[in-house]
Amino acid sequence: MNPMLRRLLAHRGALLGIAYIVLLAAAAIFAHLILPSDPLAQDLANTLDPPSAAHWFGTDELGRDLMTRAIYGARTSLITALGAVIIAGLIGVPIGLVAGFFGGWRDAVLMRLVDVLLALPGILFAMALIAVLGRSQFASLLAVGITGIPSFARITRAQVLSLRQRDFVTAVEALGGSSTYTMFTTVLPNAWSPILVQVVILSAVAILLEAALSFLGVGIPPPTPSWGDMLRTGKGFLYEAPYYAVLPGIVLTLTILSLDTLGRTLSRLIEDRQSAEDGP
Amino acid sequence: MIAYILRRLAQFIPVLLLASLGIWAMIYAVPGSPIGALVGENATPEQIAAITIRLGLDQPILVQYWRWLLAALHGDLGHSIQSREPVLDLIATRIPATLQLGLAATLVGLLVGIPVAVASALKPNSLLDRALSGWSALALGVPTFWLGILLILLFAVHLHWLPSASAYFPLISDPIPALTNLALPALTLGLYISGIFSRFLRAALLGELHADYVRTARSKGLRERDVIGRHVMRNAMLPFVTIVGLSLANFIGGTVITEAVFTYPGLGRLLIQAIGVRDYPLIQGCILFILAIYITINLLVDVLYAYIDPRIDYH
Amino acid sequence: MAVPVVSVRGLEVTFVGAGRPLTAVRGISFDVAAGEVLGIVGESGSGKSVTSLALTGLLGPNARVRGQISLAGIDVIAADAETLRLMRGRDVGMVFQDPATTLNPVFPVGRQITEGQIAHGTLRPERAPARAAALLREVDVPDPAARISQFPHQFSGGMRQRAVIAMAMAGHPRLIIADEPTTALDVTVQAQVLAVLARRQRETKAAVILITHDLGVIAEVADRVAVMYAGRIVETGPVAEIFRAPRHPYTAALLRSLPRIDADEARLSTIPGQPPHLGRLAGGCSFRPRCPLGQARDICASDPPEHDGVACHFPGEALATLPRPAPSKKPEAQTGSPLLEVADLRVEFPIRTGLLRRQSGTVRAVSGVSLSVWPGETLGLVGESGCGKTTTGRAIMGLIRPTSGSIRFAGQEIGGLPRGAMRRLRRDMQYVFQDPYSSLNPIRTAGEIVAEPLRIHGLHAEMGGDAYVAGLFDRVGLPRATMSRFPREFSGGQRQRIGIARALALQPKLLILDEPVAALDVSIQAQIVNLLKDLQRELGLAYIFIAHDLAVVHHIADRVAVMYLGRIVEESDKATLYARPLHPYTRSLLSAVPLPDPAARGGGRRIILEGDIPSPARPPSGCAFHPRCFRASPLCATDVPAFAAHATLPSLVACHHPMEAAP
Repeated sequence: MNPMLRRLLAHRGALLGIAYIVLLAAAAIFAHLILPSDPLAQDLANTLDPPSAAHWFGTDELGRDLMTRAIYGARTSLITALGAVIIAGLIGVPIGLVAGFFGGWRDAVLMRLVDVLLALPGILFAMALIAVLGRSQFASLLAVGITGIPSFARITRAQVLSLRQRDFVTAVEALGGSSTYTMFTTVLPNAWSPILVQVVILSAVAILLEAALSFLGVGIPPPTPSWGDMLRTGKGFLYEAPYYAVLPGIVLTLTILSLDTLGRTLSRLIEDRQSAEDGP
Repeated sequence: MIAYILRRLAQFIPVLLLASLGIWAMIYAVPGSPIGALVGENATPEQIAAITIRLGLDQPILVQYWRWLLAALHGDLGHSIQSREPVLDLIATRIPATLQLGLAATLVGLLVGIPVAVASALKPNSLLDRALSGWSALALGVPTFWLGILLILLFAVHLHWLPSASAYFPLISDPIPALTNLALPALTLGLYISGIFSRFLRAALLGELHADYVRTARSKGLRERDVIGRHVMRNAMLPFVTIVGLSLANFIGGTVITEAVFTYPGLGRLLIQAIGVRDYPLIQGCILFILAIYITINLLVDVLYAYIDPRIDYH
Repeated sequence: MAVPVVSVRGLEVTFVGAGRPLTAVRGISFDVAAGEVLGIVGESGSGKSVTSLALTGLLGPNARVRGQISLAGIDVIAADAETLRLMRGRDVGMVFQDPATTLNPVFPVGRQITEGQIAHGTLRPERAPARAAALLREVDVPDPAARISQFPHQFSGGMRQRAVIAMAMAGHPRLIIADEPTTALDVTVQAQVLAVLARRQRETKAAVILITHDLGVIAEVADRVAVMYAGRIVETGPVAEIFRAPRHPYTAALLRSLPRIDADEARLSTIPGQPPHLGRLAGGCSFRPRCPLGQARDICASDPPEHDGVACHFPGEALATLPRPAPSKKPEAQTGSPLLEVADLRVEFPIRTGLLRRQSGTVRAVSGVSLSVWPGETLGLVGESGCGKTTTGRAIMGLIRPTSGSIRFAGQEIGGLPRGAMRRLRRDMQYVFQDPYSSLNPIRTAGEIVAEPLRIHGLHAEMGGDAYVAGLFDRVGLPRATMSRFPREFSGGQRQRIGIARALALQPKLLILDEPVAALDVSIQAQIVNLLKDLQRELGLAYIFIAHDLAVVHHIADRVAVMYLGRIVEESDKATLYARPLHPYTRSLLSAVPLPDPAARGGGRRIILEGDIPSPARPPSGCAFHPRCFRASPLCATDVPAFAAHATLPSLVACHHPMEAAP
């Protein structure tokens, strides 16, 4: 087994985080097989029922099973996060790679463009984009993805810049390696670790952002189940059904905390390995 | 110093121009005609004619943008479709509320974040450090909107101590209602900010604690509290100032959610309402205004940093 | 002898952490008396720096210290934190290695110098500025009254270290501990700092513990020496005795492995193997695996030797077993045409400032360098930091675009070559880097790294594939079994061998070696130098050997060029240059090298240059060396001297007033 993965699994917090995410993802993927009820099935005879053996999380104002909706909400969240991270990575990493490797005018132009994306707090940028595109799952995914571009671009650029200073990159150039060769066989393979950490961290950010957008009522439109929307609706029944806004929030919070722990553990392991490699 | 400020300002200009171009281009990207986006779908022909001429919508696109930008620089952000009031007036009425919330939350963030970071960094990997790091992870990981709901459940629904929806009262004229209404939103946002502050400051302090000059300071026989309090703190504070500044620049991003949770009448609520009814001039105005604040604070942070770090030569 | 200032008995330091406890210092004892300088010498990992931190109670909480330390009457190991704090600055002052990081960057220098005294209540704050200025004056910092309010980044390296010395001396401590105080400095600046340290020590009668890896520095300033190896003191004694007749085989081997500017040797003696890992020490004598005496003797494997001046079961045999290598043969005369000809090479970097990033100045890193290298010879390129030697090497290699000048390789101008031709040419010219930790791709195996040049040029199969790569490993003395390992699994010396194997892969004619041994311990340095000499003989390679260490260059080079601020100021064959330097800078540089020979101490041979090396962004007018030169005339400030052949010696020199007499 990869020594990095072994050390990661030796860390209790990271292990719990991975276990939770794997469990959640499995539940989300196989939701239709393991759950008896439909997330959209209404039962107007049993609205706002407190948690019971039949409905572990209780029911909502239309009598829908809240746990079923929370698990289908995980599907929405994870798809949005995955799509957003892919968009952000596919655009951000090449920007950072080119800007950092070549420097000069390419760097200036690309990073100014990235600065534009950073000129607004991420959530406002996403809201503005959704204001233009209209509410849909794709719009949420795209908006969250685009707000993630700058962090990928900046992390990659910083990493590439520091690698550029290292003699082993200069050595490849001295050997006659072309820019493309140097960039893809020497620089990029050494730049992966912090990008990987960023993938984990950004997944958490994306899930949080998607939930926030839905909570604000500009994210994924109902009746598609989403955690943010459940909290938004649940907030209207704080006196009648306090569990409504509390229980899905726990699922969401645990997801964020798991990814955050995982990201921080990974980043510490990479730091340790780096200092071991750099020698005395 | 002046030249330095001007140079930093010059670096922001392309960003400002590009971002404003993007904001302006919004009305072309939305479905329907740009005029419809600006005056609403059920506008009278007279209104359409007036706006067409005022904004020069018959002109080439870049000319249109330029005129819009010039008007914006003169404070003319157009009129809201919903209320027909000037956008700038609508924004102006909401600024005090948002500012009060943002500053109160930042204060909470500093008061909680700095002690947590210092206590944590003094004994790295101790039980206390782990507990406090866990606390920071919670502060960052618990979504503010959910934390807000929990606080409402506890303090409003359960204990009846504080209102569940917060109104705005100026702190200066009405301190008591201002505080009771501000307590929960400021705590909600402030705890999140404290997580950012404590995590960053802890890392900065730990980085500095291993620096050679710390060993030098100890070798001179300085008291440990002076080694930490003067030498280490002074160095760790340099990057920390940037983080506090960035957090201030971002505070509207944070207040948007908090204002929604507590139905607090700030700028963020205005923007959400505007998006809800597709009031594009109001959306554009809000975003442009937030952009201007963001860039101004960033600039101030840069200048402040150059001022407090002796190594930066701003000449 | 009077009561010693510091007395150490049976000191042991163990670090406990996540892994197995690591004992860095394993029972050492020594005394230092007032007015005495004890030199502690050892390679990296020998425990010398840990010892110094233990003396002052500055080790971290994960260190377990045992034994006895009595410093100015204080029992350091038993003392509480407050006693130790009061001891520091009052009884003991410290000077650390890197003056760039020792001072706090955000406080003025003056405040940092007097801070300790204020904390001890021996100086009233209002008197601090005057006191700081006085202390700076004592360490020869010019214009001290203005300097006290400046920040560390406004000081040059040498000045910073003098400020640190002033700081260490501020409280009139009875003991100064200087841990590698000149390692980060250039040799002419090192001479200044050592002179200041020695003078202040005489003036204050303080005891000094000088920790260094440099035997030359020890010979220069120490009264007594303690040689450390693997956490033990293996030999102690008066400096003259140890250098003349070392009794421990390690001391003897260390002295023999040192290249010297005052002797000729064909080949350096080496110490085989690596310094031991402290976590994996065998029983018995820790030096036995590398010792020529102990290999076949059971007692060395079973019993750790007792320390009685020397920790060896067979003291005194060391001298007999290690014959002095024979002097080297005269180099053959250059024949044929040069392999590399560089003419008037210039490399300039713009400095941009202001609102519009206009170019406001130019860093002249290399300003008119001309040199030639013949097949099979070694040209040494020496100079201090910032002189442009590395930039010259990188420009020749095509890694930096020259501003102007011509570079001809094997008769062909390579300046304007198209990409393809330049790529082919790169096969004949290769580069070896200084830092073996940074020059190897951490995610490739050693075998892949050495094969990479073949793959880039599409020659892997043609040259013989894996078998050829394995042959390269043999050639540089690395076991073939290590081909599948990653760089982090190698020691510094082994990594440098990998770097050399990579450079040899394309069978080049010229190697540019950029400080290839500067990052290595003395015993490893000798192994690499010998390897380079062997390869040159076997493969007929030409070298450009870039270095700041004049002794290493003296050992390996046939001809030597001395650079100062972007120019070559003198070039000659090795014997002439070292014996009869013509340029005052060459002369000062040579005199500043500390000789590992206490007998050569004093005698007025040393020329200590004033001031620091100017910035290449603002080189002085005329001869760039004139502000620091002891022979400068008004002419030197206005006219740039021509780089011209000398009338009688086979030297080229750029000086209006060259030295004539042999030194």
